[in-house]
Amino acid sequence: MAESTTPSVFTSTLRDERTAALLGVALGVSFTVCFVTGVLSHLIQDPPSWFLWPSRPAGLYRVTQGVHVATGLAAIPLLLAKLWVVYPKLFAWPPFTSVAHLVERLAIIPLVGGAVFELFTGLADTHLWYPWPFNFRTAHYWVAWITIGALVVHIGAKWTITRAALFSARSSTETPPPTARTSAFDRRTFLATVFATAGAVTVFTVGQTVAPLRKLALLAPRRPDVGPQGFPVNRTAAGAGVVNTARSPDYRLTVDGNVRRRLTLTREELRTLPQNEATLPISCVEGWSTTQRWRGVRVRDLLERVGAASDAEVRVHSLQPRRSYRTSDLNRWQAHDPDTLLALEVNGQTLDIDHGFPLRLIGPNRPGVQQTKWVTRLDVR
Amino acid sequence: MSTPRYSRVFWVALPVGAAIIGFGAVGLLQNSSLTAAADVARWLVGADIAHDFVLAPIAALIGAAVARLLPRWCQAPVQAGLIASGVLLIVVFPALRGYGRDTVPDNLTVDPLDYTTSTLTALAVVWAVATAWLVTRMIRRRGARAAGYF
Repeated sequence: MAESTTPSVFTSTLRDERTAALLGVALGVSFTVCFVTGVLSHLIQDPPSWFLWPSRPAGLYRVTQGVHVATGLAAIPLLLAKLWVVYPKLFAWPPFTSVAHLVERLAIIPLVGGAVFELFTGLADTHLWYPWPFNFRTAHYWVAWITIGALVVHIGAKWTITRAALFSARSSTETPPPTARTSAFDRRTFLATVFATAGAVTVFTVGQTVAPLRKLALLAPRRPDVGPQGFPVNRTAAGAGVVNTARSPDYRLTVDGNVRRRLTLTREELRTLPQNEATLPISCVEGWSTTQRWRGVRVRDLLERVGAASDAEVRVHSLQPRRSYRTSDLNRWQAHDPDTLLALEVNGQTLDIDHGFPLRLIGPNRPGVQQTKWVTRLDVR
Repeated sequence: MSTPRYSRVFWVALPVGAAIIGFGAVGLLQNSSLTAAADVARWLVGADIAHDFVLAPIAALIGAAVARLLPRWCQAPVQAGLIASGVLLIVVFPALRGYGRDTVPDNLTVDPLDYTTSTLTALAVVWAVATAWLVTRMIRRRGARAAGYF
C-alpha cells in the first residue's frame, strides 16, 4: 500500500504519534465528559416521558453542569495542542491512499469543525455573547452529537496506531531520526506545558462555581459574590419586562388547574402562610453557581391547601410577557420535595426585583433557568 | 502487510459513528429552520477553516520567530509562556472586548470585572513562572559551563 507523506517543512520532533495519542486520550475523555453532562442537562430541561429527574441530591446539577463548563474550558488548550501536533497531516500527499483512508479523512471535517464549534459556542455562551444567526442551545446540542459520532469513527480509525503508540516498548524509547531538527521542547516539556495551561484555565475560571476560589476567577464571566444582594443574575427585571407588573399592588399568585379549590393570594397573604427555610444553590447552565439561604412557602403546602393529588405535577408561570423560559415544570418528586419553595426572602431580606420579587421558585437539583422568577401562577396537573 | 492499517474496530466504529452523526444532523434539521441548519453547517466548516488557515499559521509564525530569534536554551520557557498566554487570552477575549456586556447592558453581573487588569494579573503569573524556569536554566547552564562541560 502506498504511504502518503507530509511536507518536509514541518521539522518539529513533537509531531510524533505518541504525543498525538496522549493528547487524543485526554481529549476523548474530556469530550465524553462534556457530552454526557450536556445530554443530561438537555434531558433535565426538556424531559421526555421516560425521564424523571430526582430532586436529590440537591447539589447534583450544580456539579454536573459545573463539570461540563470547566471541562470544556480546560479542553481548549488540549484541542489546540492536538491539532498542532497533527497539523502536517492536513497537507499529506497524496490526500488519500484507499477508500478507508478517504472515509477516515472526511470524518475529520465534522470532528475538528464540531470540536472547535462546540468549544467556541460554549465559551461565548458563558459570556451571553451570541455572534451567530442560530439558536445556541439547539445548535450546541445537535452539533455535539455530530462531533461525538465523528469522534467514534476517529477512535476506530486510530485504534491500532494509538495502542501501538501508547503501549509498545519501541515507541517509548524511540529516538528521532538523525536528520530531524530537534525541538527546544521535548515531548515531556510540551505535554507538561499543555496540561499546566489547562490547569491555569481552570484555576482562573472555576471560582465562578467553587466559591472559595472566587478571588482567583480572574478570567471568568461571573463572580458568585457580585450582584444584587451579593449574587449574580441571569435575566434582570428590566430585561424581562416585569418591572411594573412585579411591583404592582394588583400582584396575585394563583394556584389552579387540576385542583379542588382554586387559590388566589396577595403578597401579604403569602407572608402569613407558614414559612420555611432552605439553603440551596442556583446553578446556571452557563456554569456559575451560588448557594443562598431562601425563605418562603413550600410548594407542597400550597398543593395540600388546594387539594391537589399526591403525585401532582406543576407548571410554574412567570410574569414575563414573552421570551423563552417564562414557565418551568416541577415533576412529581420536585413538586413534593420539602425544600421546593416559593421564596419571598433571601438571606433574611426581601428578594431584590432582579432576583424575582415578589416571589420566585427555588428547588433542589434544578438548572437556574428553571428557578422561575416573578412567579404569578401554579398550574397543577 | 502484517498489521492492516484499519482493524476490525474501524469497520465497527464507522457505521456506529455514522449513525450518531446522522442522528445529530437529522435532529438539527428537525429542530431548526433550513436556513438556521445551513448557518450551523457554515459555522461548523468555518470553524475548521478558521483554525487550519488562520489560527494555526499565526501560531506557526510566532513559533518560528521564537526559534529563529532566541538562543536555544531559553526557547522552551518562552514558548511555554506564549502557549499559556495565548490560551488564556482566548478564554477571556469575549469579556475583554465587552461582548457580554453589549448583549445585556442592563445586567451588571455579567462580565463584572475590570478585565484589562485581571487579564494582565493572570498573564503576570504565567510569565513569573516562565521567568523562574528561565532563570533556573540559566543558573544550570552557568554551572555546567563552569564545570567544563561546554
